[in-house]
Amino acid sequence: MKKVFNISILMVLALVSSCNDDFLERLPETEIVADNFFNTEEDLSIYINGLYSFPGFGMYYADEATDNSATTGNREIKTIMTTEANSNTITSGWDWNYLRNINLFLENSPKADVSEEIRNHYDGVARFFRAQFYMGKIKRYSNVPWYDTVLTTDSEELYKASDSRDFVIEKIFEDYQFAIDHVLEDQPQGAVNKWLVLAYASRNALFEGTYRKYHDELSLAGTANTYLQMASNFSKQIMDSGNFSIYNTGNPNSDYYTLFSSEDLTSNPEVIFTNINIANVKDSGAWSGVFGNYEMSPARDLVESYLMADGTFLSDQPNYETLTFVEEFTDRDPRLSQTYAFPGWELIYVTNYSSGAANYVQQLNKNFTGYHQIKGFTNSLDQDFRNDVDVPVFRYAEVLLTHAEAEAELGSVSQSILDATINELRSRVGMPTLTMSVASDPVQAARYPNVSSPVLLEIRRERRVELALEGRRLEDLNRWKAGKLMEKEPRGLYFPGLGKYDLTGDGIEDIILLGASDVVPNPEDRETNSLDVTLIYYRAGTIGEDVDVYLTNGSSGYVIATPERGTFEEPKDYYRPIPATEVTLNPNLEQVFGWD
Amino acid sequence: MKNVLLFVLFLTTTFLGYGQKEVSGTIVDASDVPLAGVTVMVKGTTNGTASDFDGNYSITVEEGQVLEFSYIGFTTKEVTVGTSNTINVVLEEDVQSLGEVVVVGFGTQKKVNLSGAVNNVSVEQLDTRPINNVTQGLQGISPGLNIDFNSGAPGANPVVNIRGFTSINGGNPLVIIDGVPSDVSLLNLIAPEDIESISVLKDASSAAIYGARAAFGVLLITTKTGSKEKTSIRYNTYVTLGTPTVVPEKTTDPYIYLALQRLSEDNTPWTGVGTSAERLSWARERSDNPLSTVGVRESINNPGLWEYMGNENWTNYFLSNNTYSQNHNLSFTGGSEKVSYYLSASHNKHNGSLKIADDYFSRTGLRSRINVQLNDWLSLGNNTSYLISKRKNPSYFNIQTLYNFAPTDWDKNPDGSWANTDVGWMGARLTDGGNETGKTNTFQTTFDTQAWLIKDILKVNAEYTLRKEHYNYDANYAKFQIGYGPDDVREEGINEVWKRFSDEQYQVLNIYGTFNKNFGDHALTLLGGYNQEESRYDYVTLNRDAVISSSLPTLELATGTLYGNQYIRSWALRGLFYRANYIYKDRYILELNGRYDGSSRFPKDKRFGFFPSVSLAWNVANENFMKSLYPTLNLLKFRASYGSLGNQDVGYDKLNDGSFDYIPSMGSDLSDYIIDGELPLKITAPGIVSNNYTWEEVVSKNVGVDLGMFNNKFNASFDYFVRDTKGMLTLGKDLPAVLGASEPKENAGDLRTKGWELSLSYQNNFGNPNNPLRFSAKFNLSDSKSTITRFDNPNNSLLQYYEGMEIGEIWGLTSDGFFRSQEEIDALDETSIIPWGALEIVEGWPKYVDLDGNQKIEKGLSADDPKDMKVIGNMLPRYRFGLNLNFDWNNFDLGVFLQGVAKRDYYPRDYLYWGFYQQPYSGGYEHLQDFYRASDDSADRVANHSQSYINAGLANANTDARYPVLQAWLADRNLGERLDQAQGLAIPQTAYLLDGSYLRLKNITFGYTIPNKFTKNMGISSVRLYFSGDNLFEWSQIADFFDPEAVSDINERINPAYSAPRGETSGYQYPYQRKYSFGVNVNF
Repeated sequence: MKKVFNISILMVLALVSSCNDDFLERLPETEIVADNFFNTEEDLSIYINGLYSFPGFGMYYADEATDNSATTGNREIKTIMTTEANSNTITSGWDWNYLRNINLFLENSPKADVSEEIRNHYDGVARFFRAQFYMGKIKRYSNVPWYDTVLTTDSEELYKASDSRDFVIEKIFEDYQFAIDHVLEDQPQGAVNKWLVLAYASRNALFEGTYRKYHDELSLAGTANTYLQMASNFSKQIMDSGNFSIYNTGNPNSDYYTLFSSEDLTSNPEVIFTNINIANVKDSGAWSGVFGNYEMSPARDLVESYLMADGTFLSDQPNYETLTFVEEFTDRDPRLSQTYAFPGWELIYVTNYSSGAANYVQQLNKNFTGYHQIKGFTNSLDQDFRNDVDVPVFRYAEVLLTHAEAEAELGSVSQSILDATINELRSRVGMPTLTMSVASDPVQAARYPNVSSPVLLEIRRERRVELALEGRRLEDLNRWKAGKLMEKEPRGLYFPGLGKYDLTGDGIEDIILLGASDVVPNPEDRETNSLDVTLIYYRAGTIGEDVDVYLTNGSSGYVIATPERGTFEEPKDYYRPIPATEVTLNPNLEQVFGWD
Repeated sequence: MKNVLLFVLFLTTTFLGYGQKEVSGTIVDASDVPLAGVTVMVKGTTNGTASDFDGNYSITVEEGQVLEFSYIGFTTKEVTVGTSNTINVVLEEDVQSLGEVVVVGFGTQKKVNLSGAVNNVSVEQLDTRPINNVTQGLQGISPGLNIDFNSGAPGANPVVNIRGFTSINGGNPLVIIDGVPSDVSLLNLIAPEDIESISVLKDASSAAIYGARAAFGVLLITTKTGSKEKTSIRYNTYVTLGTPTVVPEKTTDPYIYLALQRLSEDNTPWTGVGTSAERLSWARERSDNPLSTVGVRESINNPGLWEYMGNENWTNYFLSNNTYSQNHNLSFTGGSEKVSYYLSASHNKHNGSLKIADDYFSRTGLRSRINVQLNDWLSLGNNTSYLISKRKNPSYFNIQTLYNFAPTDWDKNPDGSWANTDVGWMGARLTDGGNETGKTNTFQTTFDTQAWLIKDILKVNAEYTLRKEHYNYDANYAKFQIGYGPDDVREEGINEVWKRFSDEQYQVLNIYGTFNKNFGDHALTLLGGYNQEESRYDYVTLNRDAVISSSLPTLELATGTLYGNQYIRSWALRGLFYRANYIYKDRYILELNGRYDGSSRFPKDKRFGFFPSVSLAWNVANENFMKSLYPTLNLLKFRASYGSLGNQDVGYDKLNDGSFDYIPSMGSDLSDYIIDGELPLKITAPGIVSNNYTWEEVVSKNVGVDLGMFNNKFNASFDYFVRDTKGMLTLGKDLPAVLGASEPKENAGDLRTKGWELSLSYQNNFGNPNNPLRFSAKFNLSDSKSTITRFDNPNNSLLQYYEGMEIGEIWGLTSDGFFRSQEEIDALDETSIIPWGALEIVEGWPKYVDLDGNQKIEKGLSADDPKDMKVIGNMLPRYRFGLNLNFDWNNFDLGVFLQGVAKRDYYPRDYLYWGFYQQPYSGGYEHLQDFYRASDDSADRVANHSQSYINAGLANANTDARYPVLQAWLADRNLGERLDQAQGLAIPQTAYLLDGSYLRLKNITFGYTIPNKFTKNMGISSVRLYFSGDNLFEWSQIADFFDPEAVSDINERINPAYSAPRGETSGYQYPYQRKYSFGVNVNF
């Protein structure tokens, strides 16, 4: 018995004496500690993969709330224009986690046992992402604090004031330049390469150049040309490389559309960077709401900015402002019918948000324009196809547009430049060429009163048309200081009066508009057309009436969509407030241009 | 045959040898006071009587029979009838109730000698009424033990809490089953019938011996053990029919639904849903002439497609009114001098409410408990259990979706295919879209030994436990068919297979010695020991797309890319503990408890903590000067304790268990971008870890009093406590976002919880003393309240905890009815609370009291300047209570159990309450028809309405309304629920703050025990049959909309910084059930 006692005591002592040994030391096995990482090229590559950030299908509805597209949904610019926005209500965008992830890489990559060329490549990719990050911040806040180290909880820099736009932009273009110099040209499909870096650098140089030129509130106009020149040079480098060309198989009525509805864009000569989707590996996220009556609907203003097929202005047409749906799609730039559902377009993929199949009859609805977007809409019953569709994140077309615009802003545009840029795009869709002697379109000129050059106006038109509904419009309006254009009430289809209308372009009526006080007859009493299809009945009226569609004059006029657009306050609304909570935490931060 | 003859002869002679006779006598207590109403029974028969007022009795018996004298508060006495005709009896005061033993950490103590706050829970309820698991049986029966079921889903585990809010990081009581740390989910796999005793250790002094894991109390469970008697067999069974308790009352009239939906949208700048004139006219026909109007037809405008106009509450289509559950438990117990054993097998299957597909939880358990007495000083034992649980339901099952269907939807097309509506899609998904099955197998075995080194004075115990828990989850999503139109049935959905499995190995070693000796008036108990635990959890998840055949949904038979993840978590604990208990003259009790603990969850230099406690008790009734009050006052004891404990429970679940939170590490995942044809690996950046990261410390103080009166017919107990949770691991100082990472957790917050508990019990016999009605009642009531006492929030932002904040408080606006004119609207600027900044403030809009008098209604975001906000309520339950009444008479028994919460506020923010006010996509609740209508509809509008709409008064003005003007998005929660995010009616306000208090008739059980004489020939010693009803009724304002227990899912919402994700709504719970059961308890 005593023995047992002794053994017990010994056991207890033995266990206790080793109290702080390995028994209490448990380490992660399925996560890695930073000290054990960043050793090989593979480590660098795996970490860089976590920094990738590019648009997906969301870009097709990012034009909402601009003059391209109306929305019933919530968009930041709409909230700013329609409410008493302030730093308590506009609070998104002040997110810095991504920057820390990048700087953490740059601090650790020297540890890796790799060649200088490889390290510089990955550092270059990281710095490219940092430049992208800071451009995003500049575009919102103009002045932001610049950090190129990883901060800790007791870093004093947490409380520093914003650096000036000029300083940060210089740092950004240092990063771009480093990336251009060191990111390798030849990379796997879907990976960042030198050309993508150049493409973004040219886009953002053009942004900064034009922004400085038109935004006198910054007093930086004197340095605008530096960045315009940069934009021209960067784009020229891509053009001169000969690696890219406009996708043109000689089918002007489908080549353009193919770019947005293709299962594989990786071999497309025009796409500089593809967000690749493969069904069952990475589904596309394509969303049918982009077509249907969910929140967005493209606007008549955009329809009106397409040229006639013969290259003349729509405004040259008599009664161009009161063309009906079928009329306005006749003889237009072929890109219109590859962007909008046109009369006679066939709807295949029917979901809960849209009705009808076969030849689509434009569905009218309160607060929607009645136009429907087919760019970015995967019109197929095949789910695998819908999941496979790739997203053209950066097209060579934009590089050409950038080059032309930069040259035009610099005053050095020439016919040869137009031929190498704008006319490449026009030739794809069989449109006549743009010449230096183009006349001024009064409608286009009225949009941009601060531009006098007819060529520049046409370059801007070309850009709007070519990149329509790809999410570029808001940024373009901002840099051109054309935010006021968003105050215009978005309009939809035009109806000269009540009665029957053809919307499919076959000359046979498809719908009938009744007045607000009319009664929709019972199904068996409804009229049919010559194809024995029952007409679709709508009751039209003014806002507030118990009807199905609002028209500007009640029984005639334009379909009204979300009329309340508010006021675009200049220059304030080109910027965003730093969230109030952040200013409280760091009083050194200052709001710009009237935000509080 | 010869033997039988002899036996008959024996019986005959026996009978003849013992004649009947009258026996009488007087019954008195120790002080010679006559006792009236003492039950006198002839043992083993129903023959009995009772003593009269003078303590006299008389009864007819046979010589050799045994008389049983029983009286509440006194020990039962048995006297064998001899030759004498007079039997006088002195009954001793019942020391049994004083000698009652309570299980405490690493030992037992006499209840009377307890100095800490320990509650011994009655376990009778666990096998006499039909409960699916142990925690259901514990709800409401012990003061301060709070059990909240956040869901009525089969197999759902409750939140178990002791003494209210613990820490802003959470922190649950430690569940110890037979000496082994476990958790609530494991507890709920044990058959309730196998439970022997349950103790709730509430204060630091009683829990300190468990140190690091017992900061918020301990639930000590002991299972049944063998006996030294011959084998007895016990069988319990019941069957249950369940029906949902509260299902939202929905509009089924298609016209009312669509017209109100349209109206709700017309009052906004948006059209999201759009109801065409054509659909409305069909709805009107369906409403006016439901029999002569079809509900499904080929679309007029889109030939080739079906269109639908239903008129049903589809919730009822999917949820059943009678689901069947069953329970079986069979146990063998017995043994000999040397060996004792307890063996049991149990099975319980609880079906959920889903009607059209399998939806159930089942548990099956085997237990074996064996103890061998090797010699007079050494015994060995083993305690082994194998528990299997299974949860099965359809892959696409989502209860929120089921509640949200529009009545105008439809289920099946005329050709039998599923309709192209939300209802049809859900029907197709639930029936053909695949299933998910989760199975857990838990094997646990404990070897223990006890050695008496000095007999009855010093013993050593050693226990080693190994637990293996395997989890295996299989799910598949299969394609299904949807009928779009006549001859147009399409395949939809995905073919995907998922597999998850985990393996957890957990080991515990306890070695401890106990010394116990009395020295005259001094009694001393010393206990010291060592504990170590380690756990390793390995979790793997795999999935693969493109399953070839939905009938064989396996990883092997799929062609997509195989994806996998693995997570390993491990932790270890090591501790030394002691207890010293000193008792002087059974009156003065001093106890010291403590533990020195180390945890792998903290950095090396902050790993260890020492947690001591002290408690004192004074048993006043044992003092000589109190003797005169005896037995009117037979117990009066004062207790006080003080102590500290550590909290290391900083995680949420097994995957996020906080194991490595002090180590900045990087997780891996697949990239979101395809490179070179595949998704490559990516690594995420490590987070920031604070240097200030160690145990939370919990200091608790407790005072209590126990009272026993009238020979223990009446007992009362009261405790008051203050518990300080110090150094809560939370976000420290609010840092600028440019830091670029989540702020690290550090020991930065303090919290103080104050509360009290009261329990009262009464038992007595009434009526005919020969056949008394035995009555007992137990009532318990408890309360607690927590306040933040330290938090780094210098501006007292309401988006963070702040000093002085009472946990659970709801900040909101004060309702002032509705705007009734444009002048009123112009006089008070409410534009800053307009949802989405775009609704129009019109007559009938909610109007608020302008508390700061600036003619503007604004939300202040700081407690220093709350503008028009104030605390309008508190979401934490207060004054929880339970009342248990038991009646026993003549083999009948009746138990009634009521349970509830006397104070709680709940602000609703989801479809279930707000319907179209939230969004026009779902709604149609009957209560919302009482909305503000400024004027009667015009005559041509009325002409278009259905008769039902007119009959419901919806075409008439209603300015005396409960709800505001019907404006969709007015109560939209998609902007967020946090104070800065919420707008419109998503901001809490007084008019719609619901009273969440309730009183629930939790259970009534009526049983009958068949008299032994009918059953003993079958070898059955007793049979009890019972009928039982659960959740039969509730008194509650909130029960018009929610099950009153469904709103307890607030844990995250207590945090003012919490921003609930869009999909996460409160109160939207799997339906709870009313249950009607029939059961049998048989003892062989």
